Amino acid sequence: MQRLYVGATVAFWLFVAAFWSSTYWRPEVPLPAVAVRERQVSPVELARHATPEDCWMAIRGSVYDVSPYLPEHPSRPELVLPWCGREASQAYATKNKGRTHSERADELLAQYRIGSLVAD
Amino acid sequence: MNLIRRLSIPLLVVACTAVPVWWAFPDGLSLARSLGIVLGWAGCGLLLASLFLMLRETWLAPWLGGLERMYHWHHRIGVAAYLLLLAHPLALAADAWMDSPQLAWQILFPAPQLWPIWLGWLALFLLMLGLAATFAQRLAYRSWRRLHFVLGIGVLCGLLHLFLLGIDGPVLPLLALCVLLLGWRLLGEDSARTARPYLVRAAVHVTDDVLEIALSPLARPIAASAGQFVLVAFFSGAGFRGCGEFHPFTVSAVDADGDLRIAVKALGDCTRRMQLIAPGVPARVHGPFGSFLADRPVARQLWLAGGIGITPFLALLRSSRLVQPTTLLYLYRSTADAAFVDELQALAAADPKLALYTLATGDEAPNLELLLAEAGALVTGQECYFCGPPGMLAAARRTLLKRGTSPRQIHFESFGFR
Repeated sequence: MQRLYVGATVAFWLFVAAFWSSTYWRPEVPLPAVAVRERQVSPVELARHATPEDCWMAIRGSVYDVSPYLPEHPSRPELVLPWCGREASQAYATKNKGRTHSERADELLAQYRIGSLVAD
Repeated sequence: MNLIRRLSIPLLVVACTAVPVWWAFPDGLSLARSLGIVLGWAGCGLLLASLFLMLRETWLAPWLGGLERMYHWHHRIGVAAYLLLLAHPLALAADAWMDSPQLAWQILFPAPQLWPIWLGWLALFLLMLGLAATFAQRLAYRSWRRLHFVLGIGVLCGLLHLFLLGIDGPVLPLLALCVLLLGWRLLGEDSARTARPYLVRAAVHVTDDVLEIALSPLARPIAASAGQFVLVAFFSGAGFRGCGEFHPFTVSAVDADGDLRIAVKALGDCTRRMQLIAPGVPARVHGPFGSFLADRPVARQLWLAGGIGITPFLALLRSSRLVQPTTLLYLYRSTADAAFVDELQALAAADPKLALYTLATGDEAPNLELLLAEAGALVTGQECYFCGPPGMLAAARRTLLKRGTSPRQIHFESFGFR
């Protein structure tokens, strides 16, 4: 059991190190090209909209202004508000039980789309 | 062990794991993400089962196959939970890695304000630290125990991590259950509130480093029988400074007036201090536990005792005359370590069914095959009961299995509680 513990712990940290090193040797996948007329939002601009009254979120490459919807969101505000002004794809895909939001939620979200996220 | 008791722990483990995994089973997610979620919930379930198995309740232990079996599983299940929980963040990061290594790294180490995720890391670190301490057998028992407690805090941090992620449906009852189990053990059992009060009536040195302590009950006595063990903590009083920790001791006698006797060998800091114990010292006793020597068949018996492992056999011989022809082979390091030999010889002289062989083996491992042959104990069909150091038990088991003894006829308890 002791060997198993030591072996698994060492392997775990090796995997963590591999994830870290891969951020250097594997280039980031570029965001898809955006339509010319569409508003392009940089992460810096996105970060300026990080309050409950002015809350933008980037989800799967699109940027949404969800400020009007926040009071209606079913989960506790402290779960949603930290994602204002941030890239929130992962949070959107991992709501309760780690499951993604429903198709109904996707349709609702689309109503709040204001543009696309671009690199700085 | 009957079928229910044999299956009780596996069933508990399956139930504790299957229910949360079933509830949270992902639907329509990628394989790596689904795996990450399942691993996390299965790890939580195993931790819950492990917490159940740390309870020291006399009514619960027989259903789960005895305290020693519970501790054995508690340890193994805890390690299994740790392995699954290590893989949990790695699987979630692997899922994102396909899209972007940067996203994968953000999932592992997110922004500082995302402290629900960091709480998960804290839980994992505490499990890592607590388990490392569990394997450190050289640590003093008190330090070892404190570090083991870190594991309990790790479990609570892990559940808070889930709760703060917004998964409060099943997590709140799970969290309440874990707090209840930890509180039960810490406040109810470790703080001695549920143990019975006793007072040291007498303390007699049987060798230089073995003290036999007689304990008188101050309330309803514990109904122990020969072969069972109790957990005893001694407290300060009558000029003695007790360490207040519960240690397991096999009962060496159960007297008619409810008094218990235990033999304490100086093995660690606390048991060394116990050698100075005097009449009047207050004690608390949990138990009894174990079923060693219970329900012995009428077949011929071989008892093998090493050192302080003589106590369960002594308790049985003191309590009643033998029904079965019995060979007792008692091995000790030197004549200075030969606890209770004079009394055993007197008991053997008075009981024609008991054949006693005693031997000082020195520091070398004895040739058990030769010793058993000389004692006429290398026969098939006998029931074998061992109590002593793990190395001696393993060697005796090997020898007897080689000579045709069935594994079902070999019974032992190793009393390893770390």
